[in-house]
Amino acid sequence: MPEVTILPDGLQVTAAEAETVLAALSRAGLRYRVGCKRGGCGVCKVQLVLGEVRYERPVAESVLSDDERVEGICLSCRAVPITNIAIELQEGDRLRKVLGFAYPNSAQPPPGRSASNPATGTKERKD
Amino acid sequence: MGVMRLGYVHLRVTDLEEARDHYSNTLGMEVVHEEPGKLHLKCWDEWDHHSLVLEEGGVGLVKVGYKCSSEDDLVDYEKRSSAFGATTGRFSRGENLTVGDGVRITLPSEHTVELYTDMEFSGTETGSINPEAWPRNMRGVGTHWIDHCLIAAEDPGLIERFFQECLDFRTAEKVVETMEHPEVIGTWMTAPESHAAHDLAVIKGPNAKLHHFAYHLDDWNAILRAADIFSMDDVPIDIGPTRHGITRGETVYFFDPSGNRNEVFAGLEHRVQKDFPTINWTADQLGKGIFYHDRELNERFTTVFT
Repeated sequence: MPEVTILPDGLQVTAAEAETVLAALSRAGLRYRVGCKRGGCGVCKVQLVLGEVRYERPVAESVLSDDERVEGICLSCRAVPITNIAIELQEGDRLRKVLGFAYPNSAQPPPGRSASNPATGTKERKD
Repeated sequence: MGVMRLGYVHLRVTDLEEARDHYSNTLGMEVVHEEPGKLHLKCWDEWDHHSLVLEEGGVGLVKVGYKCSSEDDLVDYEKRSSAFGATTGRFSRGENLTVGDGVRITLPSEHTVELYTDMEFSGTETGSINPEAWPRNMRGVGTHWIDHCLIAAEDPGLIERFFQECLDFRTAEKVVETMEHPEVIGTWMTAPESHAAHDLAVIKGPNAKLHHFAYHLDDWNAILRAADIFSMDDVPIDIGPTRHGITRGETVYFFDPSGNRNEVFAGLEHRVQKDFPTINWTADQLGKGIFYHDRELNERFTTVFT
């Protein structure tokens, strides 16, 4: 299943089959700037730095233009990763962790153990 | 004489079948007519043929229709709108399903508003003779009627002036920069022949865009029940249940499957009559004006438009 790496934090989330980027991040307790969550407003756009996504539902040209797609802008509430991907949040946005108390491992992996956390599907990049 | 109410909203949706499910099963509207790429719907408590047109392809507003009392209104409104500098034209019976001749106006904010006097009368679900309080076959939220819409404009003051001067709307409430510098940030307006607290609202934002359109519900209990149904049907809630300071209405904002914002709206509301003053809100109290309990705007309120 494709991994989503959020830059520059380096957090990784595993997306389930046919799961959108937003849904995968949300399931792991990660929050960022989103709007309608239904493809209408474009507020949750992120920059696709690496990898490929597909859209399983129609996306309005007024929300995500062809030019934006070419530039690697990705509408995260509708984009489904088909390879491992890396994304960057919009300028001025930042990643918030709301499940830190429940899944402390997602914040800092303990030394000498796997960085993966099967409960949340998140892991830290080791660098 | 004059504009009576918001009669129809014509909306773009990315997926017609998802939209059908939302508006019909979750909200409880009835599909009264369908053709390829388009659905016409009405609420159980509406008298006219339809109040919502869904058109597949894109998102946002195609146009809104306001129903007027008489043909003379249309002539007068067309003249005044044109003199104001808005683009006006006529449309013919049949261009909109079951709607008669009318006037089409392009607002300075690039929204299309249609004025008409006639739409096929099909009656409410409970009828006009000894009606029951509500129909037993009501689905989902069971919205009563489409109540108002909120559109965005780069210059809300100009659009307020247009509706005051050309269509005789009254400003029930408004948000101004300060009382000393009353530049309009938002305005809530009542149509001349209306009984609603507002039939149209305009806030500062990108031209041609829709912020939301709203359905009327009974009361606070109905608002809570609606929010429960949104959770059951996985409808993203923007905010609520809560109360607006402006209008005093009780509310849930939520999104349809294409990301168009809807509202369910209930409550006491301020009475709006000719001899009552406009209620003013100042920009420093805007958060409380919009969301009376949170007292601050969420980012979505000012950024999510379709």
